[in-house]
Amino acid sequence: MKRYPHIMLFAALVASLAVGSVQGCHLRHLREAEAFYRWLLAAATHERLFRDDAGEFSDKELFDTVARKIESDIADWEVEDDQADEDVSTLSRVAGDRRHDHALWNYARGRTLKEERRRFLQLARERKLSYARDIDYAEAQAGGVNLFNLFFGFRKVAANFVWIQVDRYWHQGMMYRMIPLMKTCVLLDPNFIDAYLLGAWHLSYNATAKMPDTPPALKRWHPKYQVCLGEKELYYYLAIDFLKDGISKNPRNYKLYFDLGFAVYKNKLSDYPNAIRYLREAVRQPHDRWVPRQLYICMELNGQYAEALAGWQDYVKRFPGTDIAQEVGPRFIQRNTALIYELRAEEAFAAAAAATDPQEAEARRQEAYDYEQRAIQIWTEMKEPYAEYRLARLHALHLTEENRYMEAVAMLDKARWENPANFDDASDLMIEIKLRGGLPLSVSEKKAVLRREAGDICQGMPEDIRRQRLEEAKAAGVQHDPELLESLE
Amino acid sequence: MSTQDVVNAGGDALAARKPTGNGVFSTVADYLRGPWCIAIYTWREGIRKKTLMGFLILSLLVIFGSTFLSAFLDPSAESDMELKLIKDICVTTISIFGVLITIFISASVVPNESENKVIYTVLSKPVRRVQYLLGKFLGVQFIIIVNLALMGGLFFIALYLRQWVLPTLLLWSILLTYFEFLIISAFTFAISCAATSSVLPTIGGLFIYITGTLTEYLKDVEVRSGQSGEFFDEMIGWLAYGLRNVLPNLQHFSLKMQILDRAPNDPPTDVLIPHLMAYGLIYAVSGFIMAYLIFRRKEL
Repeated sequence: MKRYPHIMLFAALVASLAVGSVQGCHLRHLREAEAFYRWLLAAATHERLFRDDAGEFSDKELFDTVARKIESDIADWEVEDDQADEDVSTLSRVAGDRRHDHALWNYARGRTLKEERRRFLQLARERKLSYARDIDYAEAQAGGVNLFNLFFGFRKVAANFVWIQVDRYWHQGMMYRMIPLMKTCVLLDPNFIDAYLLGAWHLSYNATAKMPDTPPALKRWHPKYQVCLGEKELYYYLAIDFLKDGISKNPRNYKLYFDLGFAVYKNKLSDYPNAIRYLREAVRQPHDRWVPRQLYICMELNGQYAEALAGWQDYVKRFPGTDIAQEVGPRFIQRNTALIYELRAEEAFAAAAAATDPQEAEARRQEAYDYEQRAIQIWTEMKEPYAEYRLARLHALHLTEENRYMEAVAMLDKARWENPANFDDASDLMIEIKLRGGLPLSVSEKKAVLRREAGDICQGMPEDIRRQRLEEAKAAGVQHDPELLESLE
Repeated sequence: MSTQDVVNAGGDALAARKPTGNGVFSTVADYLRGPWCIAIYTWREGIRKKTLMGFLILSLLVIFGSTFLSAFLDPSAESDMELKLIKDICVTTISIFGVLITIFISASVVPNESENKVIYTVLSKPVRRVQYLLGKFLGVQFIIIVNLALMGGLFFIALYLRQWVLPTLLLWSILLTYFEFLIISAFTFAISCAATSSVLPTIGGLFIYITGTLTEYLKDVEVRSGQSGEFFDEMIGWLAYGLRNVLPNLQHFSLKMQILDRAPNDPPTDVLIPHLMAYGLIYAVSGFIMAYLIFRRKEL
């Protein structure tokens, strides 16, 4: 061979290129597996959290095939704090727990799902998977000019410069120009978490800052969101869509869940069940300490006092030396304990009223007084505005029981001005007492009653939904004003 | 390279031919001493190049300036936007200027010596062509590594001063960037061995970088080919398939960007990094063999 060194060299060149090719195939396999894994997480998140949303989930068929194939293997995997509905697939439940990420990654690159992985790439190439569109490698499979190869992979820098422009528009007050640019920004960089967070903040807070609340009569039915919305309220739902898009692409980032639950659902829409749902998801990811605190507060606002109490007790135990555990935590523990007593007292009063046996009724009443006393004791010890309001509220309810309606209303009127944080709650109770006692309502109270009556129906609502809501309201005892209904038609 | 340097390089290389001991290790050490001396002189020569220094200073200025770009952002918004801005701009700067430095230096070391006739002085000494090439190639790598270390170092400091946490993931990103440059450098070096001036290899290097980044397009060509059923159409498909598998795909190194903004839903990168390093090394060997194949028969 010494006579033909160039043949040797040529053979070495071919051999090295062949080895390089094999290594390239291996890397390609890993990247395909990575794209498949990311899609699996995104599709599982969609099924677990957003499947009730309007719109078609085009990836369902492939996802169901994958879920069925590994169903038996993952059926006995433990899932932490699983709150998913019964009809959600095991794969979606497992994908919701980040402890199983490594195992799922092994499935994504292993032989078990080889056929599904191939199918995934084929569908991604045909642009038939909605959750594969922002995954770099899957996007590249579609060919043509796409964002994957635009800027030679430097699209993240482009996203930053687009964001600087968004920021400039905000300072210039051009909110309408910001929205398409924000969408471009996250299209260029789907992992740009701050763009999602700040974008949603702009939409739900800054865009609506100078807008008045839309009166119920002016709200229109929105078919996509299946609710009655005015212009202002529509921005909240745009913010929700924006954050949900971010969650689909970054399902392990707690900040997106937190902002969706806390900043939009809790603060803007007062939709506590949804706020709890997303805050619970935020807590399941690696998170900061304030996240569970907001979850417990939302639980309390939603009337889940026992869960809120357990949460606060756990928090105080986990972070014993912190200021929150020493000062704030105990207050919330007391507060939720007292609220649980109030609730039990209410239930016991109701049981007493329903009891046919006078002895049982008396026993229930005593039980109720006992619980009430315990609550009063806690509120008295607490000595804070909220506790004072609760004491006033309990007192007003007692007065109502004794048919002393005027005094009860006066008591609540004083309490609501002293504790503006509970103004709405006190006002609602005042209306209830006035209606019960036959006292005349003020103009603003009459308007509030009308608002409550018209709250569920609006212009443009499909007839079947309108009829259903009217029937529900009738069953709940709400009498609709015929003139009001006519105006909405 | 000054005349004295050339004489020194040749002298050291001559000394390298004298056996210093027994055993395989000493034989290898003796064999590599010549390339090592040439590498050191190539490096010294390289760092004196004004164009190279220009690229380096420009890149350092952009990295330094990225910290001021955050002034355009709203200071009232509490976010990590500034940090992201710095990271993205710095990684991109390192990639762009790093590639330019890599291509420029890889394309010029051999043709420049041919133009200056220095190569005749070196090869007239008892230095084999493969040793000469190895020395040149190693010298180029030293220059790339030093430049990358300078840019990466400034980026490291900028990040550390922002977050007061050692950005260790940046080291992995820089390492992957180097292996990407290694591939570009090896093939540009191979082209430069066939050229008499550095213009053609520089253009060739840019072409390698662009095609390497767009290799995934070949999949598209492969899928779309053969639709007419004609032989030529199908042949294009086979060619695209072959090229896609043989040509280095630089998009695999996009992990260097991803790793810096590591998201919790990213799959484990510890699997990919060693494979990417091996990938870079294999193609570097291919490039070097190609360079030697061209250079060994070249008439000088």
